Amino acid sequence: MLSQRILTKNPKADAYLDAIEMATGICLVSFLWAHMLFVSTIILGPEVFNGLSEFFDIYLLSYIGVPAIAIIGLIHFVVAGRRIPTNIRDQKIIWQHAKQLRHTDTWTWIFQAITGMAILVLAALHIWAISTGWPIRAESAAERMQAFWWFYLILLALGEYHASIGLYRVFVKWGWFPRKPIFFVLKVVTVIIVALGLGAMWVFLQLGGAA
Amino acid sequence: MGNRTLTFKIFRYNPQKPEVKPYMQEYKLEEVSGMTIFVALNKIREELDPSLMFDFVCRAAICGSCAMVINGRPTLACKTLTKDLPAKISLLPLPVFKLVGDLAVDTGTWFRDMAIKTEAWVHTTKEFDPTALEERMDNKTAQEIYEPDRCVECGCCVAGCATANIRADFLGAAGINRVARFMLDPRDERSPEEYYEVVGAEEGAFGCMGLMACDDNCPMEIPLQTQLSFVRRKMLAQGLKLKTEKVAL
Ligand code: FES
Repeated sequence: MLSQRILTKNPKADAYLDAIEMATGICLVSFLWAHMLFVSTIILGPEVFNGLSEFFDIYLLSYIGVPAIAIIGLIHFVVAGRRIPTNIRDQKIIWQHAKQLRHTDTWTWIFQAITGMAILVLAALHIWAISTGWPIRAESAAERMQAFWWFYLILLALGEYHASIGLYRVFVKWGWFPRKPIFFVLKVVTVIIVALGLGAMWVFLQLGGAA
Repeated sequence: MGNRTLTFKIFRYNPQKPEVKPYMQEYKLEEVSGMTIFVALNKIREELDPSLMFDFVCRAAICGSCAMVINGRPTLACKTLTKDLPAKISLLPLPVFKLVGDLAVDTGTWFRDMAIKTEAWVHTTKEFDPTALEERMDNKTAQEIYEPDRCVECGCCVAGCATANIRADFLGAAGINRVARFMLDPRDERSPEEYYEVVGAEEGAFGCMGLMACDDNCPMEIPLQTQLSFVRRKMLAQGLKLKTEKVAL
């Protein structure tokens, strides 16, 4: 073995990276799903939404939660992103491979890489938007939704897709559940969460003019 | 039943003659009943083109030498019936393995390297006594070992794997499955640390991205997902336990 390799040999590294990829991923999925549940409280009325939002403010949960999620997201991006080939030749091989194989799980991985990068940018914009319009209240949220509904629509779709496929992949890799049933369960959960998200968006748009 | 005329588009390239660029050659053939790709290729070679290169030995899905990419998917040619395919059939050699010519690839060298890297033999300190009765093994364990052991080393899992296509050092499902076979075997005395040396890295268990093209394309239908996740879980548990010492410079 080459001396630079001997000196930097760390047999634990690959195990830890794999564990971190999984752990950060699961954190982000749980956050996203909880976040969508919280947002959809608007369906129950602006009072409920504002009450929840104030609760997070009073106990400083938002001030810890938002930066924490941003950091976890960044770690996830770097660690999961290590799998994406960075040279042109390998990228060409992957595309050609996927087109030829016509295999769902191979395609979903490619989309996973693309949506991951898109989410990095969109989620950053989203965090910037909410923090400059702090605090989060039904009225300010409705205004944002009025102006940027298309942005939230894209982020919702990409985020949900990435989260569900990512979680499916975790189950596949670690083999805790059989593949086909878990794929079905995750599809159902995704449909529910997306429906809640769309419902919330619709309510916000209705509120928008009144607020 | 009216017989179809099949159109084969076959990859042609001879590494011995690099001046001729790779191309797809077309052959037309009358379909006959019970025709496999194995039968079709032999007919093409006998009647149309004696220069076509491809591999076969057992023609019964036992030896694993006839794997190729049929209409985009890696599988065994002798196990693939033409009646299950459309009239246009494309044949490509397996990727990842060294191309011998046209459809023939050298899987042997790859599998030998893999067997050496994974030390695919029972590691034991027991002295072998040729006169003693063989040790008994309970049926459940024997069955468990037999599952991964059904691998015919055709290379379809490796060819279908995106990671293996871009990482030459990746052991692939075949390699990790092989390790699983020895982990299950009570006669192999290797410790988790020793196995970790073999597959506890991105070249092994942690390199798999979980795309499962191996599992979906295995002609022997070995439950590769089960084997891969079994090894991955074991290796993670070991990796998190590991203590390393730094060399002081
Ligand atoms: S010829 Fe032996 S497996 Fe096909």
